[in-house]
Amino acid sequence: MRATTALFTNELRLLGRTPAVVIWTVIIPLTALVVMCAIPAARQPQAPFGGVSVVEAYQPVLVVFAMTLLALQVMPMTLGQYRELGFLRRLRTTPASPRQLLTAVLLLAFAVTIAVGVLMGVYPLFFGLGSATRLAWLVAALVPCSAAFLAVGAMLAAVIPNSRVASGVGAALAAVMWFSAGMWFPRAQFPDWLARIADWTPGGAAATALSQALLGGPFSWQPLVCLLVWTAGCFVVALCTFRWE
Amino acid sequence: MALISVSGLRKSYGPREILHGIDLRVEEGQIVGIVGPNGAGKTTTVECIGGLRRRDGGTVDVAGIDPADGDPALRRILGMQLQQCRLPAKITAAEALDLFGAFYPQPRPTGELLERFGLTAQRDRRFEQLSGGQQQRLSVALALIGRPRIAILDELTTGLDPAARRDIWTYLDRLTAEGTTILLVTHSMEEAQHLCDRVTIIDDGRVVAEGTPDALAQQGGDQLTSFVPDPTVPLDLLRDLPGVRTVTEEQGRVQVHGDAASPQTVLTTLIAHGITAGQLRVTGPSLDDAYLRATDPTPGSPTREARR
Repeated sequence: MRATTALFTNELRLLGRTPAVVIWTVIIPLTALVVMCAIPAARQPQAPFGGVSVVEAYQPVLVVFAMTLLALQVMPMTLGQYRELGFLRRLRTTPASPRQLLTAVLLLAFAVTIAVGVLMGVYPLFFGLGSATRLAWLVAALVPCSAAFLAVGAMLAAVIPNSRVASGVGAALAAVMWFSAGMWFPRAQFPDWLARIADWTPGGAAATALSQALLGGPFSWQPLVCLLVWTAGCFVVALCTFRWE
Repeated sequence: MALISVSGLRKSYGPREILHGIDLRVEEGQIVGIVGPNGAGKTTTVECIGGLRRRDGGTVDVAGIDPADGDPALRRILGMQLQQCRLPAKITAAEALDLFGAFYPQPRPTGELLERFGLTAQRDRRFEQLSGGQQQRLSVALALIGRPRIAILDELTTGLDPAARRDIWTYLDRLTAEGTTILLVTHSMEEAQHLCDRVTIIDDGRVVAEGTPDALAQQGGDQLTSFVPDPTVPLDLLRDLPGVRTVTEEQGRVQVHGDAASPQTVLTTLIAHGITAGQLRVTGPSLDDAYLRATDPTPGSPTREARR
């Protein structure tokens, strides 16, 4: 426990020393939301977005953006580098195991993605958007979203030995997730067949889960089931194939 | 009872057998060196002892633990410094020591290790900003932070300047005085001669020689007696002496290779013939010679013959 805590603290400190990661995964998504909230027209309901405002339509997308950058690009890169440096191997020579480092890396990524998600839920409240009572729902939705993205990221780190390739594939997957979440094209405008596919990607399911948490309305289990399946499937693959050296 | 005992250790990578039955014993409190050419299997041997690789045959016992069992107790008593193991780029020297210290119940204080390894001025410098020698010293310090009973150090002083090397040697001497047992993989005969109680020479996955550095050196070859005779000496006179193997003369300097008693015999003979031995030099065999003989790749050398 003491070792895991020390490893977690260390990862947190190292993350703080990597400004690029902090800027992309925390500052840019938050800034984008802040700017949107400041534009009055973006706060009005719009027909093309299925009767919600631009802010409400993009809030889940930005959460997905922040989460996927950290879980699909940064995390596989970090794990791959630790393997390439021989740091995982070095840990094997100590009473701490490389599993504890893996746990620390995943926990940190989990904590940061949840924190960013919560901040993004809280901020629009200052503009009279959303409702504070939905925050508990938001947290409940953020947990399976983050878990699913981290599982996909862990699988990438496991099956692709080269850290830069893993991170590159992660970037491509992240773009797919952003599309399914409706970044370039509102989800309300997706044709049926595309909507059905997007619903079963982690990105699409995450966006739906987050929307229904933030906006209320009819509740569906489908996105949660989808996220759970991705989480379980990818973690199993990751555990079976991860190489320490 | 040996603290580390290895017998018949075998290891293959794929179809290629790397270790063909290594035997090794390390008594408590000793420093034992493993030397040998690149690719001889030194690192694989210590990795099997340290439980980082599974052996394919033979037995290994480290303080009563079989490293292949994955017993966590092994990690508490064994510190390892490995070749080519780097740390995250942005961790500082002091943070790395604090981090590894948190893995052990009673770690050595970070400040003590920084001072001992000459890193006090670099304590807040990031790993990527340390020089190769400083990274190396930090790596050794990390292996010792948990007060291990046994330390395995692979290529301990590679890339260190002579002063830093002396400092580390002094520290290791102190550690063994306190009872730490050390297994050292090295390329440097000077290091083995200076530090080790016993040396095992490995070549091509086999132990080719084992003993104290002095005993090995003695096996390593001839005493060399060289001098400038006045007046000149008939070389055949020396060739016929007992214990003398070869006699050569180059630019007036006579060189006599022979056994341990040969310098005495040569000098006695010269005196009896009224010949002065000017610029006299007697050179004993070194561990270097022993190493070169033991690992000599030319066919027909004694060790190669014996192996067949």
